[in-house]
Amino acid sequence: MRLEIRDIEKSFGEKQVLKGVSLIAEGGRAFGLLGRNGAGKTTTIRILMDVFPADGGQVLLDGRPIDYGKVSFGYLPEERGLYPKKKIIDQLVYFTELHGLRRADAVKASDRWLERLGMAEYRNKRLDTLSKGNQQKIQLITALAHDPDIVILDEPFSGLDPVNAMLLKDVVKEEIARGKIVLFSSHQMNYIEEFCDRIAILNDGRVAIAGDLAEIKRGYPRDRLAVRAGAAEKIRAAFGPACRTMEDGTLLLTLESPDKKAQVMRDLTEHFDIDEIRVFEPSLNDIFVEYAGDEKGA
Amino acid sequence: MKQFRKILKFELKNYLANKTFMGVTLFLMIAIMLVMFFPRLRDAFRSDSAAAPEDRGVIALGGQLAEQVQPAFADAFPDRDVAVFDGGAEAVRERVVSGEADCAFVIDSLTSYTYYVEDLSMYDGNTAVADAVLKTLYQAGAMIEGGFTPEAAEALLTVQIEHTVSSLGKDQMQNFFYTYIMIFALYMVILLYGQMVATNVGVEKSSRAMELLITSAKPVSMMFGKVLASCLAGLVQLVAVFGSALVFYKLNSGYWGDNLIIRSMFNMPVDLFLYMLLFFVLGFFIYAFLYGAIGSTSSKLEDVNTAVMPITFVFIIAFVVVMFSMGSGNVDTVLMKVCSFVPLTSPMAMFTRIAMSTVPVYEIVISVVILILSAVGIGVVSAKIYRVGVLLYGTRPKLGQLLKAIYKA
Repeated sequence: MRLEIRDIEKSFGEKQVLKGVSLIAEGGRAFGLLGRNGAGKTTTIRILMDVFPADGGQVLLDGRPIDYGKVSFGYLPEERGLYPKKKIIDQLVYFTELHGLRRADAVKASDRWLERLGMAEYRNKRLDTLSKGNQQKIQLITALAHDPDIVILDEPFSGLDPVNAMLLKDVVKEEIARGKIVLFSSHQMNYIEEFCDRIAILNDGRVAIAGDLAEIKRGYPRDRLAVRAGAAEKIRAAFGPACRTMEDGTLLLTLESPDKKAQVMRDLTEHFDIDEIRVFEPSLNDIFVEYAGDEKGA
Repeated sequence: MKQFRKILKFELKNYLANKTFMGVTLFLMIAIMLVMFFPRLRDAFRSDSAAAPEDRGVIALGGQLAEQVQPAFADAFPDRDVAVFDGGAEAVRERVVSGEADCAFVIDSLTSYTYYVEDLSMYDGNTAVADAVLKTLYQAGAMIEGGFTPEAAEALLTVQIEHTVSSLGKDQMQNFFYTYIMIFALYMVILLYGQMVATNVGVEKSSRAMELLITSAKPVSMMFGKVLASCLAGLVQLVAVFGSALVFYKLNSGYWGDNLIIRSMFNMPVDLFLYMLLFFVLGFFIYAFLYGAIGSTSSKLEDVNTAVMPITFVFIIAFVVVMFSMGSGNVDTVLMKVCSFVPLTSPMAMFTRIAMSTVPVYEIVISVVILILSAVGIGVVSAKIYRVGVLLYGTRPKLGQLLKAIYKA
């Protein structure tokens, strides 16, 4: 399965929100959609799910215009919300049924997911009696219980404690392993970095950078070395202004050119007490700040 | 279609499982039961205490001619005791002030009297009766003076005219009460349930469940499912209330005797009942769609009530126009004719005209067709508003912006 968004444009009134956005996401892999607030992530997701049409551009599945009657979406909106006064099992079954499951299957699927997320004891409780994190798990079930082809998770980790975050990670990994297209939107870069092979960073309605995360990282000039050593002071003295200390104490050495890499590594290990030495790659956070940072007015 | 059924079932269950809904329905049924059993209960109590004298009102008579006119007054007020009091106008007036008498007549001559009463009721007909009594006495006296025998004078004055009324169209006397009740039921149910639709949509919007709903179901299914569910809930309530009224009436019909109002209400023609159902459903749909659409444009629940006010006003105005023309007895005024074709007013106006006058069939057909087309049209538009409504958090959109967004959707 291959989902492609091609040259999507969208305006609300005078404001053009999307100015030609193109993305490609594939089954069995997670895709990270990044961008600052107001960059157009939610609008892109809504067009993808046919909440409203785009002004221009196409949504393709396996090369053909997507048939919304045949593809099912699972959606965890950033703004969480269900019926606060209703019994949990009732609303889970309702939402699952809306996606086309028969009642008996919907009940079975809902119960299975409640069990899977450790929420079975809350089955007959009202939603508003649950804590925020538990409500979030219920919301997650509405996105997954009908076994959708495409899963869209908007800020799935916000509000979860580390134990629940771990549980969610396992669930997401399972969905990816089952060949689904999983689309992430998040500001928590560590999670995106952990899951997503491909990313796109939106900036002011345009794709600032998109592609394979590893390739993007490799695309940076490989002229910096990250060094952890016992004798940090000596190294700093030897390299002068070319040596910077990062927040976690690691030293960052900028070389005159990438060709010098091997030579400098050898020199360092010969002359100093080195614990670790590697070619420095920017983190997703660095990439994000670089591409999404200088946006006007967001 | 499948989605629509699921939504309908879910929403309908919300109403029927609602304790307030069931409570109100039960309360109304019990209230109607008590009303319908009232004559039977009253008779049961009365037979126990038949010996107790009934509390009949007293009419005080004073003035020079009091003694002379007393028999005629006693005949004219058979349910009151007519008593003569001496002591002049002041003393008779005192009887009314003290509450000893309900009212008093001080007869100065056969052509002039003063009427005393504590609180003058809007429907006080006592002076009209007294006028007629005195007029007859005066005329009889004059006739006897002019040479008539008392018998001949009496025969002349009490002559009875026989007449038969044959209404070729509708009998407004007959139809007024049930038309009134039906229009009132229509008004109450549409207003209550329409606002419930608005509130339900408002709750979905403010709890942000709408975000998930519009990505799970088609807005048209959503809107039609919700509105049909509340329409069915309204019908269930109407059937429960009117059905129980009918059953309890049948159980007690003997005790109601020939009470005109009650009898005419339960002898409503079937075709009129079917019209009532048709206009109820169509009118309900139009208003519920509008209420739902407006509910979806308010981002907070508190805003829903103010947002729906224009619709409620239109509806109240339609109700008032219909009620006034019913009261005036002429339901075929130009205003009513116009109202019976305008979709927002026609459910009540056309139904009233059908019930209380004779409307050509083609007019009914045109009105119903306009109503059906606009109900479907408004339904589709409101589904679009519902769909774009989810985006409109924060300030409420201006009408122009909204229309633009709908057009694009």
